[in-house]
Amino acid sequence: MSDKDFADQQALQQVLERALTASQADETEALIAASDASLTRYTHNAAHESVNERNCQLSVRAVVGKRIGVAGTNRLDDAGIVEVARRAYESAKLSTEDADFPGLPGPHEGLVEVPGAYDEATAAATPDMRVQAVADVAKVMRLSNLYAAGYVSTQSDAFAIANSKGVRRFHRSTDSAINIKAIGSDSSGYAEGFSRRFAGLEPVKLAERAAKKAVASRTPRALEPGAYTVILEPAAFREFLGYLSWIGFGAQSFEQGSSFMSGHLGEKIIGDNVTLRDDYAHPLGCGIPFDFEGVPRKAVSLIERGVAKDVVYDSYYAAKLHHVNTGHALPAPNSDGPMPLNIVVDPGGTAVEQMIKDVTHGVLVTRTWYIRLVDQKQTMITGMTRDGLFLIERGKLTKGLKNMRFNESIIGALGRCELASQLVRSESHVLPAVKIEGFHFSSGTEF
Amino acid sequence: MPFESEAQRVLDTATRLGAEYADVRFGQTRDEHIEVRNGVVASLSDGESAGFSVRALCSGAWGFASSAKVDDAELDRVAGLAVTIARASAKIKSQPITLVPSPAHVGSYKTPFEVDPATVSLGDRVALLLAAEKEVRAAKGVTVARAWMDIWRTKKYFANSEGAKIDQELLQCGSAIHALAVGESDVQDRCFPGTGGLYQTGGYEIIRKADLLGQARRIGEEAVALLTAAQCPSDTADIVLSGDQVSLQIHESIGHALELDRVLGWEANFSGTSFATLDKLGTFRYGSEKVNVVIDMTCPLALATHGYDDEGVKATPVDLIRDGVLVGYMAGRDTANTAKVALSGCVRAEYWGRLPMIRIGNVNLEPGSVPAENIFDDIKNGIYMESNRSWSIDDKRLNFQFGCQIGYEIKDGKRGKLLKNPTYAGMTPTFWRSCDAIGDAASWVAWGTPNCGKGEPLQTARSCQGASPARFRNIQVGVGYER
Repeated sequence: MSDKDFADQQALQQVLERALTASQADETEALIAASDASLTRYTHNAAHESVNERNCQLSVRAVVGKRIGVAGTNRLDDAGIVEVARRAYESAKLSTEDADFPGLPGPHEGLVEVPGAYDEATAAATPDMRVQAVADVAKVMRLSNLYAAGYVSTQSDAFAIANSKGVRRFHRSTDSAINIKAIGSDSSGYAEGFSRRFAGLEPVKLAERAAKKAVASRTPRALEPGAYTVILEPAAFREFLGYLSWIGFGAQSFEQGSSFMSGHLGEKIIGDNVTLRDDYAHPLGCGIPFDFEGVPRKAVSLIERGVAKDVVYDSYYAAKLHHVNTGHALPAPNSDGPMPLNIVVDPGGTAVEQMIKDVTHGVLVTRTWYIRLVDQKQTMITGMTRDGLFLIERGKLTKGLKNMRFNESIIGALGRCELASQLVRSESHVLPAVKIEGFHFSSGTEF
Repeated sequence: MPFESEAQRVLDTATRLGAEYADVRFGQTRDEHIEVRNGVVASLSDGESAGFSVRALCSGAWGFASSAKVDDAELDRVAGLAVTIARASAKIKSQPITLVPSPAHVGSYKTPFEVDPATVSLGDRVALLLAAEKEVRAAKGVTVARAWMDIWRTKKYFANSEGAKIDQELLQCGSAIHALAVGESDVQDRCFPGTGGLYQTGGYEIIRKADLLGQARRIGEEAVALLTAAQCPSDTADIVLSGDQVSLQIHESIGHALELDRVLGWEANFSGTSFATLDKLGTFRYGSEKVNVVIDMTCPLALATHGYDDEGVKATPVDLIRDGVLVGYMAGRDTANTAKVALSGCVRAEYWGRLPMIRIGNVNLEPGSVPAENIFDDIKNGIYMESNRSWSIDDKRLNFQFGCQIGYEIKDGKRGKLLKNPTYAGMTPTFWRSCDAIGDAASWVAWGTPNCGKGEPLQTARSCQGASPARFRNIQVGVGYER
């Protein structure tokens, strides 16, 4: 491809068609992901690591009978395409029969595009524009004798799939993000923004929020371990949802019985004020309208008013478990099974400001760090707070706190929670802040 | 050398446009992965990727750009973009970047190996995994059995504007078996070897020596037995950690803490900073006098071993902790000046398209003098824990909590009953100061960690923390299960 063709729909589809015609397999799927990604990373109010990466990766899944092989390359001349198709085919021949493999999916109706997924100005954003955003953040920090660390990113992606059963998909999108950690001598604060449009990031407003937290949490005191009423801001709550997606909302863990959803569909498993779904098309989100097999994504209700409703499927598990394919395949080969990537939490009725006012004695958590699973079936996780932990006393944030370790069951916590009314995007999820009663902090650290 | 003329074109372009220093890397990776799951090949993949990247220093600021396409126009575009990015960054730099001197090496390196994986047919590799996985599943009660192997080949050519020209070929291999047992209210799993497999530099001999087939039945049986085992008590106890668990403890509480870029705040927003600040260098008691840690990128078999790093620095062993005292950091050419520490050759990028940064290389705990069979001695009531299940540590690398796959009581110096869900927690310096016995050289293994994350955009690196089993006194155990 020429430089002009980078991420061009016609050029990418030509690559896919060549891969399909080159393949000797019974069935073939070709997937291409093209990305032009830039990120300006900063610390001490200065840009220190700034990068751009341009790549285009082709992956071929070959099917021989019920044997599957996958090969990938970023060499996209004719010889490279033919060679990757050959390697996938040779791998498939040496694989084993998977009796449950239903064959590649055929074309599905019902694809709904995401309006505004691509923003030309974001795709064309320059290093100077990202650096200016950093400069704007730094200016806010200096007003409070702070410095900031974080990143500003912009990227343009194209994603195309074709298979020998007639599937043809193409999607182009942009995305941008800003992370701001405001740092003082003994405190820090955090704010983040995500948008398909670079112009939608609001670096100054976010910098002011992060700086305010860093200032307000100066001279932090230690908190006794124990159970507290906590408010998790969206950046903290997001990590809980990410873990639920991984360990329990996919058909593979559901089938093998390791999911908290296994055997409990139709049962009330958390509070009836909690509704979770996967929805690629939420206007605040960043989803794409089809999965990595080219199947249109469906909005899937995972938990509805506290009741376990469903998990997500790809073509393999849909056929194996006699369920509708919800369009949640990950790229082949995939040993984790299907997974929701765009969780949306229905908002509650209370503004987060009011939620804080309603707390007599509790803790506000801005951000979490290094969450790991302790017990899968119990959805027990451990992790640390970071970048803005506050004591709430009689409805007000009164003191900064030193960071704490928590050990908590996610499902257990969602059984005693209240959701805030404001939805925001955090990474790929859309969610509000959440108040949780009896949240367990097990130990503290020195800062 | 391949790409010599292309590299020169890039360097000439970058310097002509004003770069004070520039380097270029051409890379090619080939990653083969096979995974079998309950009798079926679940994954058989063979991926390759190639491209180049340019790092340019202009007015004391870095710029970096990369591309998969290699032709004259793209070489010029990417070199120019790296300079443009550097110039933009220079507008808001704080301290100008200065590079410590490093010889302009002209050389090559190739991972030594006994058996070229290419000489082992794909069919034979699949057959080995199927046999091992079948044996895991033969243990009654195993819900999901898996076995996998990875073979990673990397070719790279580095050149810089100071005259360095380095050609390298790296070969890394690893494999594992895994058993998952699902009970009514419990899920237990076991993996072998170690936490997630044995990953080292070398050829197919690394996979053969893992003895997947020989240990498969035991691993399956242990996973099932854990479902009905006693819960690890919540208490304070003397503990012995298996070598692979010590390896992860080193990774999280020593390796990351001693990355100089973290210490300087370069990672503050993501993976964090470090409690091991510059003022502690040379005086801080990090651990007991038995704790000696070295970064050694030349270590045979170790997963991160290479000849030179991704900024052309030759691999050289450097002490990090000697007799328990902090004496060094892992540093790059752009950070070493701040701490006046030696370069070890630990600056690496995930692949050709990513920015090189300080990464945990081979951060090895030197073996002690205690034979493995004697390491339970002197423990009246304690707990032995093996192979990691969960790991978490704060963003200055102080407060940690780890969970292991399997535990056993230690009673009067002997292994006792099986315990499930063993966890332990502590603060890094207190923990390492409580180490009073380290296994001898016979029990030392160069344990590889193939999935270390750092950086924005996120980069995955392959590291090693060589370790023996070790003993720690008065440790909080059973954390997370108290209620």
